[in-house]
Formats: sequence, structure tokens, C-alpha cells
Amino acid sequence: MANARRMILRKAFNSFITVVLVAIMNFFLFRVMPGDPLMRLRDNPHLSEEFRLKMIEEFGLDQSLWVQFIEYMKNVFTFDFGNSFSQQLTPAMEIILGNLKWTLILTGTSSIFMILIGMSIGIVAAWKRGGMFDTGSMAFSLFFYAMPTFWFAMMLIVAFGTELKWFPSDSAMSYGQDLELTWTAISDMLYHLTLPAISLTLGSIAAFSLIMRGSLIDVMTEEYITTARAKGLSDARVLKNHAVPNAMLPMVALIAIDLAFVVGGAFQTEVVFDYPGIGWLTVEATFDKDYPILEGCFFLIAVVVVLANLVADTLLVYMDPRIKES
Amino acid sequence: MRMNDVPDPGVHTLPSEAGTSKRSLISEPAKEKLRLLRTNASKTWKIFRKNRTGMRGLVMLVVFLVLAVFSPQVMVLLSWIGGWDVAYDPFYKDFTADSESPPSAEHWLGTDSFNQDILARLIYGTRVSLLVGLVATVVSMGLGAGVGLLSGYWGGVRDEVLMRITDVFLVIPWLALMIVFAAVLPGGSSVTKVVIVIGITGWSSTARIVRAQVFSLKERAFIERARAIGSGDYHIVRKHIFPNVFPLMFANAILTIALSILSESTLSFIGLGPDSSDVVTWGNILEDADDVFAIQQGLYWWVVAPGMMIVLVVLSFTFIGYALDEIFNPKLRRR
Repeated sequence: MANARRMILRKAFNSFITVVLVAIMNFFLFRVMPGDPLMRLRDNPHLSEEFRLKMIEEFGLDQSLWVQFIEYMKNVFTFDFGNSFSQQLTPAMEIILGNLKWTLILTGTSSIFMILIGMSIGIVAAWKRGGMFDTGSMAFSLFFYAMPTFWFAMMLIVAFGTELKWFPSDSAMSYGQDLELTWTAISDMLYHLTLPAISLTLGSIAAFSLIMRGSLIDVMTEEYITTARAKGLSDARVLKNHAVPNAMLPMVALIAIDLAFVVGGAFQTEVVFDYPGIGWLTVEATFDKDYPILEGCFFLIAVVVVLANLVADTLLVYMDPRIKES
Repeated sequence: MRMNDVPDPGVHTLPSEAGTSKRSLISEPAKEKLRLLRTNASKTWKIFRKNRTGMRGLVMLVVFLVLAVFSPQVMVLLSWIGGWDVAYDPFYKDFTADSESPPSAEHWLGTDSFNQDILARLIYGTRVSLLVGLVATVVSMGLGAGVGLLSGYWGGVRDEVLMRITDVFLVIPWLALMIVFAAVLPGGSSVTKVVIVIGITGWSSTARIVRAQVFSLKERAFIERARAIGSGDYHIVRKHIFPNVFPLMFANAILTIALSILSESTLSFIGLGPDSSDVVTWGNILEDADDVFAIQQGLYWWVVAPGMMIVLVVLSFTFIGYALDEIFNPKLRRR
């Protein structure tokens, strides 16, 4: 047990280092790069004198890089990225947190379906390896793996938005509707969520089904499966009690790693559907040259993904008796 | 291998005469290596040829390569078949046709909002999409192999530092990384910049794979033997480690090309790729379509074809990559 704890502590320390490195990279990308976006803004003659002075003061652009860096690191760990450039009186983090809920709703819903459906496909495909279902599902998975998520989203709009007009394909709620705990608001939210969630789920399902299939096929060559069969257990029992639990270990590790992949898909889905989440905000901020928003989004995503990885690693340590004992 | 049957004059010449013989310019071990490389390649090809998925991918890829290399000729051929007055190029504006027109005898895939032939753009788009995929892969393979080799060979603190940096690139969602890099790096929307952005965001998994392989190689006897006879680090990495890591990297590289092409089209679609008035890629054809709400207007032909091209080219590289992976990593062959 002591070993397990040490391992988790080490992982936690590494995660912390990763976050610090992201923060440092953030600083250098936005301040020291040859194009130096912030400096360019400072010297931009089109901006009002008042705004320029305010910005120079806010970002300490008249001070040495070292002072700026210290100040920046202090702010980063309180999630203070200054005021947004495009909405000048609002702190960037406030805007980002407002958009975060939509990304969480979208990725959360999709992830559940993705994992459940992807794993089921993988299990059946591995069990009936080489059969019709296996070949068919592999072809299906590969096709979706090769497809850009944004294009699949567009195809969904073509079919269910433009032609059939079953579902809306813009924004997260009807105009003027707020997210609250009333029946109309929630049904409106789900109505708008349908197409983006389908797009993200199908777009990322391949990773899960392929990994589950591979992992299960690996497990099935193990001797304990042969033993279980020799004992006379039914196929279903072997699968449920012996194969799947062991095949789950690599899955847990990969679910976290794939989160990075899912977030990439979410970005594309949000852009195509004008779904006002973090991905959509990041792209908007890129074109508005709204650097506080861009920095904030990037840092927040990094922190969330690193934390998710840490949680998965911790789970893995407690799930895998080999790690716990060694 | 007929050559080996003929007595080699180079072997029998005295050292003083060696310089005069042209053949002996290639030293014996080098010649041996060339021979090995040739037999290995033909062996690999023999196994590959039997792999149906791999061959399917290769045939698809050859079609795309022909489209890319001979785009103008393909358009001339098509104009002859279709009986068009001109062989369209991607920037030719046909004002005799309507803009955003549906497919017709003159424009099989219709025209875009600048009266440009979508089919011509699609075929010429193969060029940049493949090129960006290939060059970006070279960049990320170089970075990944470099970091992986050094990290695995050094070990210790330096390995720790390199791996923490690799983690940053591994953990952060690729699209977020690409968008931020594309937003802050100078260079406008040039193809070079897109290549660099994709290259520097896509090397981390290669570094991990190479490092793991180097770690397992380091413990093997032949490395110890090489060290025992006094080989230097550079020599060991170059002659003993790299050749053993290379096959693994090769399959990985093919799969990375597929991902790089996907990255390029995504970046272009978002609007951070090459400008569609200078350079045409499948991604920016889709961007142009999205800009004028082509899907909401029901102009499907504009959107379906470029997406299918991306899917097919990515599939072809994926098929080839998996087939090579099976050949080079026989442990996987059971799967």
C-alpha cells in the first residue's frame, strides 16, 4: 500500500510539473514569440490611447520580462488572466467559465454514450472475432476514425437539419431561452444537444471500440481464460467474470488519454454547430485576437485534462493488484 | 544476387592498388549492408503483397498520388471527356456559369461562390493535402525520434526533463495546441507555417514509442558488447539503436501522415490554414462552403466530395500503416 501511495504522489507531482510547464509555455508563446502578439497590440495605433495605457498597466508591458513573468505566474494559479479584449469590462475567466458548462454538457453526455457503445462493440467484436459483426464493426470504426469530425457534423446537419428539419443545428438553446431547471428549458437544451452529441459520440467511438477489442483479444490468449473454459464455465460467464474485468485495465488508462482526443472532437463539433462551449470560444478568440481568453481557455483545458489523467492513474493503481503489491 | 557468384576483383587487389579500382570505393561492410537492405525490402514487400488490407491501401494511395502529381493532365483528360472548352484550374473563374451552381455537364461538381470549378479544386487540392501531410510527418518524426532516442539513451534526470515536456504535448488536446500555435506564431497563413504547427504538435507519441524501445534495447547483450569493445555513444546510437528503432518508427510514420492530413483539413476548415485564394486544400474548400452556409442552403455536392477525399486518403494510409505494423512487429500478428 505504501508503494501505491508513493506512486500516486509521484504521478501527482508529475502532473503538477506538467501544469507549470503549460503555464510557462503559455507565457512565452504570448509574450516572447517573434510575432509577440501582446507587444504588437501595445504598439497598435488603431487602439484608443486609454485602452492601450490600461493594457500596458494590466499586463505590466512596461516592466522587465522577469517581473512580468513572476506577476503572470501569480495570476495564473489564481486563474486570473485579466479582462477580455473584445468584451473589455469582463474578466476573461468569467466568460470562459460561462462557456465551460456547455462543453461539459456536450462532452459529458457524449462520453457516456461513447464509452458504453464503444466498449460493447469492442467486446462483441472480440468475442465473435473474425465473424460478420467483427468485420462490420471494424469497418465502421475505421471509417469513423478516418473521418474528420467537423465533416461528419456537417453531414448530420445536411441530413437532419436542412433536409428533414428534425433538429436545430445552431447554438445550445433557443434564442432568449436561459438554462434553468424548468421543463421547457431542459427539453430545449436536450433538443439542441441531440445533433452535436451524436456527432461527437460517433466521431470518437472508434477509439474506444478498437482499444476494447484489442485489449480483450489480448486477454483471451491468457492461460486463465483457458482454465476457466476447462472448468466448464459458459461463454457468457467466462466473458463476464474473467475476460472483461481484466481487459478493463488498459481501457481505464486509455479513457483518460482519449479525453484529449475527445476534446479535439468537441472543438470541431462546437464550431460547426455554433455551440457556445470552450472550443467555440477558443476559435472566436483566435480571430478576435482576444489573448486573455485564448490563454485562459488553453490553461483551463490543460488543467482539466491533466487532472483527468491523474484520476485515471490513481484508479488504475487501486484497480490493478499487481501494481498495489509490487 | 548474381554479383556474389562472380569472383570479386576488389577483394584480391592489393591495398596499394585498391584506390584505382572503382568498385572498391564501396567498402565491403557497406556493400553487405546494401545487399541486406535490398533483401529486407523485397522480403517486406513479399509479405506486404499478401496483406489484403495493406494492398487495398496502397492501390488507393497510388490513385491519390497520380491525382496529385498529374492534376493538370487529369483536368485536360476530363475536359476532353466532358467536352469542355477549357481544362479548368482551381482559380479559373467561369463567368458563363452561375456561382454556386449545382452539378452540370460543364461543372460535374458545380461551382463555388467565386465561379470556380469545384472538381478542379478537389483534384488540385490533393497536392497540398498530401504534401502537408508528408512534410509535417517528417518534422514530427524527426523531433519525436530525436527526443525519444536521447531520452531513452540518457536516462536519469535528462530523461525526466524531456519526458515532462513530452507529457505537455501528449496530454493537451491536439486541436487546442494547434489552434494556439497557429494563432501566435508569425507567418500569416502560409503552407510552411501550417506544416510547422502540425509538426511541432504531433511528435510526442513517437517520442514515447521510441524511448520505450530504446530502453528495452539498452539492456540487450549486443549493446553491452559494443560498449565493451569501446564504441562511443554516437556510434552505438547510430549503428545499433537507431536501426532497431527504425522499423517501429516507419509504421508509426505512415499512421502519422494520416493524422497530419486530418489536422491540416481541420485547421484549414477552422480558417487557420492556407488562404483559399492562394492555395487550395480539401480543408479550405470546406471552409469556403461553410462560409456561405452551403449545407444550410442544400449545396451538398460542395461538401460531400472533399470530405470523402479526406476519408479515403486517411484510410489508405491507415491500412498501409496497420499492414506494416503487423510485418515489423510480429508479436502483433496474432491479433
